[in-house]
Amino acid sequence: MLNKLALSGIKHRLRDYSVLFSGLMIASAIFYMFMSLATNKSFLSANSPAAATAFIFGFGIVLLAIITIVYVNYANTFLLSMRQKEYGMFMMLGAKSSKISRMIFVETFAIGAISTVIGSAIGIVATGFVGHWLIGALDMQVKHFNSFYLPALIWTFVFFIIIFMFSAIRNSISLRRSKVLTLLKRDSQPVKIKRNGALKTVQAIMGLILLAIGYVSMWYAGNNPVFIYLGIPIALVTIVAGTYLTINSFVTAVIVMLKRNTKYSQKGLNNFTLSQLSFRINDYTKILSMVSMMFALALGAITVGLGFNNQIDNVVNGQNYYDVQLTNPDAAQQKRLKSLSIKEKNTYDYKVSGKKVYYRASEFKKQPFGYSSIDTKTMKSSLHKTTDPTKNGGYEIMNTRLPQLRMLETVLVSDKDYDAINAKESTTVLVKTNSFKNNLSEIKSISKAENKRYPILKNAGGDKYSAYTLINGFFSGLEFMGFFLGIAFLAMLASCLMFKILSGANGDVKRYNMLYKIGTQQKVLRATINKEIAVLFAVPAILGVVHVLLGLQLFTKILYKPYANIEIPFLIFLVLYLGYYFLTRYLYKKIVLK
Amino acid sequence: MQKIVEVQNVEKIYGKAGEKQFKALSDVNFEVKPGEFVGIMGASGSGKTTLLNILSTLDTPTSGQVKIANQDITKLNNNQMADFRANKIGFIFQDFNLLENLTAYENIALPLALQNRPTKEIKPAVMGISEKLGLTEILNHYPTELSGGQKQRVAAARALVHEPSIVFGDEPTGALDSKSARALMDTLTKINREDKVSILLVTHDPFSASFCDRILFIKDGEIGQELKKENANRSEYYQEILDSLGTFVE
Repeated sequence: MLNKLALSGIKHRLRDYSVLFSGLMIASAIFYMFMSLATNKSFLSANSPAAATAFIFGFGIVLLAIITIVYVNYANTFLLSMRQKEYGMFMMLGAKSSKISRMIFVETFAIGAISTVIGSAIGIVATGFVGHWLIGALDMQVKHFNSFYLPALIWTFVFFIIIFMFSAIRNSISLRRSKVLTLLKRDSQPVKIKRNGALKTVQAIMGLILLAIGYVSMWYAGNNPVFIYLGIPIALVTIVAGTYLTINSFVTAVIVMLKRNTKYSQKGLNNFTLSQLSFRINDYTKILSMVSMMFALALGAITVGLGFNNQIDNVVNGQNYYDVQLTNPDAAQQKRLKSLSIKEKNTYDYKVSGKKVYYRASEFKKQPFGYSSIDTKTMKSSLHKTTDPTKNGGYEIMNTRLPQLRMLETVLVSDKDYDAINAKESTTVLVKTNSFKNNLSEIKSISKAENKRYPILKNAGGDKYSAYTLINGFFSGLEFMGFFLGIAFLAMLASCLMFKILSGANGDVKRYNMLYKIGTQQKVLRATINKEIAVLFAVPAILGVVHVLLGLQLFTKILYKPYANIEIPFLIFLVLYLGYYFLTRYLYKKIVLK
Repeated sequence: MQKIVEVQNVEKIYGKAGEKQFKALSDVNFEVKPGEFVGIMGASGSGKTTLLNILSTLDTPTSGQVKIANQDITKLNNNQMADFRANKIGFIFQDFNLLENLTAYENIALPLALQNRPTKEIKPAVMGISEKLGLTEILNHYPTELSGGQKQRVAAARALVHEPSIVFGDEPTGALDSKSARALMDTLTKINREDKVSILLVTHDPFSASFCDRILFIKDGEIGQELKKENANRSEYYQEILDSLGTFVE
């Protein structure tokens, strides 16, 4: 009978349960997504040149595990707050507490198990989808990537079974220990109000100081790589602590200041919104600081990942000046060249005699030879022109020849001397397009055709396209990991925040109902809700963005222009994050307003 | 003479046509004059909460007309209803309904802030009503730091601060101990007498009702009997109410 009652209770609160289920499913889906990369050793070793990758992923697993535990904990509190009144009523009607605690155990565990199974299935689909989307969108070369990876699935199951087992035990113990009256009346227990201004001021100042120390140490370590092993731990500790203190006190201080400004606070529902926020912030400090750290890590992962993508262009451009190089092009190759948008096209003749390769000096006078170089200090590549490639760019002119001729000496001679050399003449055609990226597919087909004509080129490379393939393969893995981690983290943290906000919604129903009764228009109520949730989303986002912008200082020596194209990851983030904001506020209004 | 509340042929039926219907109010007629202190009494399920919800624009009648301060409130749209509540009506609820994250002062100021009154008007208004209700000492406290009686007085101050045409009370003493209940009723009477504020209470407690000038008894959705205080003192009136209740219920 009781089981039937409990089930009918679930039916009644289907909406709340759907929030709970979807939240837990997201958690397990993301956990699986992460594990499918992190536990796939062949993927990691094939796609990352650095041995540190395995370590970074290990670190990531720990982080994600902690977040997941916190997340499930919130979900569990949500479940318990939903059910305790009903279970209290059963107990009042005479159900034994052992029976009740068994019921909540079964319920918690069943909810966990069902959502883990469905969530993992979603995770497999999502992994495949995100993976292929990234590979397609960013022209990546990723090896050994599987959306279905059994060890990851097993890890996910084991992990979630353990945490749900603990949650179930905790729930059943907490129900067994609580008095019936507390269960029935928990909603109306008073909230304690803390008021200690002096401590808050100290906290606010401390928080800002700690953040400053963290930022400076990142900047310093970025510019003096020797200190990186000291700088990162210092930054990590000070920034985590600084974030916590800042949110706990600085934000509260701003709210108090706004409240004191009666011109602002006594307009419409502003005072109500501010009070809601200041009460919330006390309760939310932990989650908001966690979210802002996660936000920084996620955004950082994507930004750095994209930084590697920028690196590809930079390194490739540093390798070769010309996008296409052809030796004695036939009609078919000439035709293909026409499909390129050409910026510069140079043709040089040469003759090979003995251990030397002879060029006409006059040809280089007429069409100066372009070459590029990388400044090893700034990691910046630059383009130059020369009329004497034996002095500058000697390496590059060698590379324009077929591999067997590359080790020979380059000599420039006058037209008269050149004509006197009795040897077969070859022609090199060098083309620079207006953009390597935009002409990539045509360049690819030309390079393929050239490799077919001279099979020796296949292993030797030398042209820009083969440099590109090599470097793209090298950095794509890193970029893929960055994007994948970033998106997974973001989804996790935003759903964490969403859950926390929604779990408080039931307590707000009465407040909004009262405001409605004393004559607040629905649209005013909606506006306050939007404002309140916007602030709760914005606080960690703003701090997170600042963390990332300053955190990128760490990469100034490793990456070429770490801030280049930064708007792309920020935009991706903004879209996803806004999506969560709108979803949260929609669900919240559904719970709170009539 | 002008009327504050005018209820004509009001009917409320729950349930859609064709389904099982329930008539909560049938042909209710009455009026409240300015400065009157009126009570509506009835047992649980008699329809008194339905009536109060309709009067306070939280619900609409199935048929009939309700005029408050010469405005037909049954013809308002949702936004107009909200504005009407904000401007013309004050509310005192049984469970206080204070916002526990606002101080007493902020709770009282809320109706004025909702109307976007200038700040310099808000403070004197809040201080004035607080003084009248003896709340000046506790204005900076949060509701959880107040006793039940104090909370209800804060709620009363909130209901009065914007000088509404009428104050509705829904069992305002229902959650109070006898001493606080008496204090609250004394305060309401004083405000009714001195400031000519019209008050309409819904209650099933004869003690609270004995403070009213006039009592309407409601049973099964119909107003059956009316009892006026006239020149009787409070304890005589209390006795009369008990007698009426005894005969009315049968």
